[in-house]
Amino acid sequence: MNYLIASLLLLFTCVSGVADQVNQPNLSHRSVAKAEAKTKNPPTKNRPTATTTIPEDELGNAPAEKVNDPFARLNHTTFRLNDSVTIHAVKPLARGYEYIVPSQVRTGLSNFFDNLDFPVRFGNDVLQGRFVRSGQEAGKFVVNTTAGIGGLIRVSDHVSSLADVPGEDFGLTLARWGFSSGPYIVVPLLGPSTVRDLTGYAGDFALNPLNWYLIFSNHRLISNVVGYSISASRFVVRAPAGVRTYEQMKEAAIDPYIAVRNAYLSHREAQVGK
Amino acid sequence: MYADKGGAARRRWLVMVSFCAVVLSSAAAPGDPVGQLRGQVDQVLAIAYSGQSNETIVDRVRPLLEKDFSFELVTRQAIGPGWRQFTPADQQKVTNLFSRLVIRIYAARVVGTQRPSIAYGKMVTLAPDRCEIPTRVTAPNGDRPYAVVYRLINLSGSWRIYDVLIEGVSFVANYRAQFDELVQRGGAPAVIKTLEAKLAEPINPNS
Repeated sequence: MNYLIASLLLLFTCVSGVADQVNQPNLSHRSVAKAEAKTKNPPTKNRPTATTTIPEDELGNAPAEKVNDPFARLNHTTFRLNDSVTIHAVKPLARGYEYIVPSQVRTGLSNFFDNLDFPVRFGNDVLQGRFVRSGQEAGKFVVNTTAGIGGLIRVSDHVSSLADVPGEDFGLTLARWGFSSGPYIVVPLLGPSTVRDLTGYAGDFALNPLNWYLIFSNHRLISNVVGYSISASRFVVRAPAGVRTYEQMKEAAIDPYIAVRNAYLSHREAQVGK
Repeated sequence: MYADKGGAARRRWLVMVSFCAVVLSSAAAPGDPVGQLRGQVDQVLAIAYSGQSNETIVDRVRPLLEKDFSFELVTRQAIGPGWRQFTPADQQKVTNLFSRLVIRIYAARVVGTQRPSIAYGKMVTLAPDRCEIPTRVTAPNGDRPYAVVYRLINLSGSWRIYDVLIEGVSFVANYRAQFDELVQRGGAPAVIKTLEAKLAEPINPNS
């Protein structure tokens, strides 16, 4: 039974996967420039310095990128299941939470849970050999935990060297170790992923000491009740942003399945490039 | 002799004045894409957060967005290589429908009570006539800031937006992926039918 609850919590904690991924702040445009370089045709010799008409052959001729999606049929089915769960279960929960809890408190709680995920980001920085970044993560954690009252206020945003530190996860660590993303998969309740990212998700789960109560029977930092409460609260706190992002994407999409797949894969590729 | 000196002086003045005029005109819009983009975004946000009715916001921001975006280029990129198989009439119709969709989505997203703050990064030149400008958008409610990159092209001396990347996700590439199969399967008629159906759907400003 414990295992079943643990598995459900594991899945629920990241049902808003795209939103969590999409909300990572960064001004870096290295990956963006790389994407542009990838999509545009080779430069022509006679490129004008200031165009008076739209360049016919340079933009607009890039075909859609081929996607590694061998399980597309199964993924479509799972996508519809997740859509139903998001709209009929997670959305009412998120709306109820937003109705009951004032905006400033919600922001504080969101910051608090982000701060609690520090060991995951720090651990992955170390695993990737990014020691400067791991120092910045540690600095963020110290500043936000102390001056930010236990992580409720993101004071680090006002410190220039700590304001824009890309958050790492084990999926990104695997990418930097040379693992390819593998096929795209839509995981029930978890949402869009790849084989590499799903493996990474399990790694991040294990890296977070707050989840150890679910993994180890002896090495417990917290009791089961506290552990389940933290996991459930984290899910509820993150639900509104996840639902909003998903609904906005769906509303703007011609084909929601492809829109979400492209957004997820592009965003992850951009993160790997940072 | 004096007359000649006066004529030479006048010519020098004329040359200097002409040079200054050229320098000043080139220092305006086309020379400073960041300044132009900042002005464009400020104008749209001023309308969106003016406190007026949300129902008319599409009509109010449309003239600005039509000036700021190159919708022909945005649509052509979104459709991809299949664009060249469309007739000029179909291209025009798809551009009109797609720009209506883009403006409607944009207008629904910028409404609100608290205006976000936008930090502009350093411009990156992609080609002699193209550049991208990274920005960082911070909402006043304390949500995490997010990265938005604008790509601009110099068309007839004016910088126009041809793509927007939010957290690394290209707007036009995302639509191109969605349109790809539709274009291959049904060409322009299928695209037009789908866009018309999409525009007929209600949009929920609370989502």
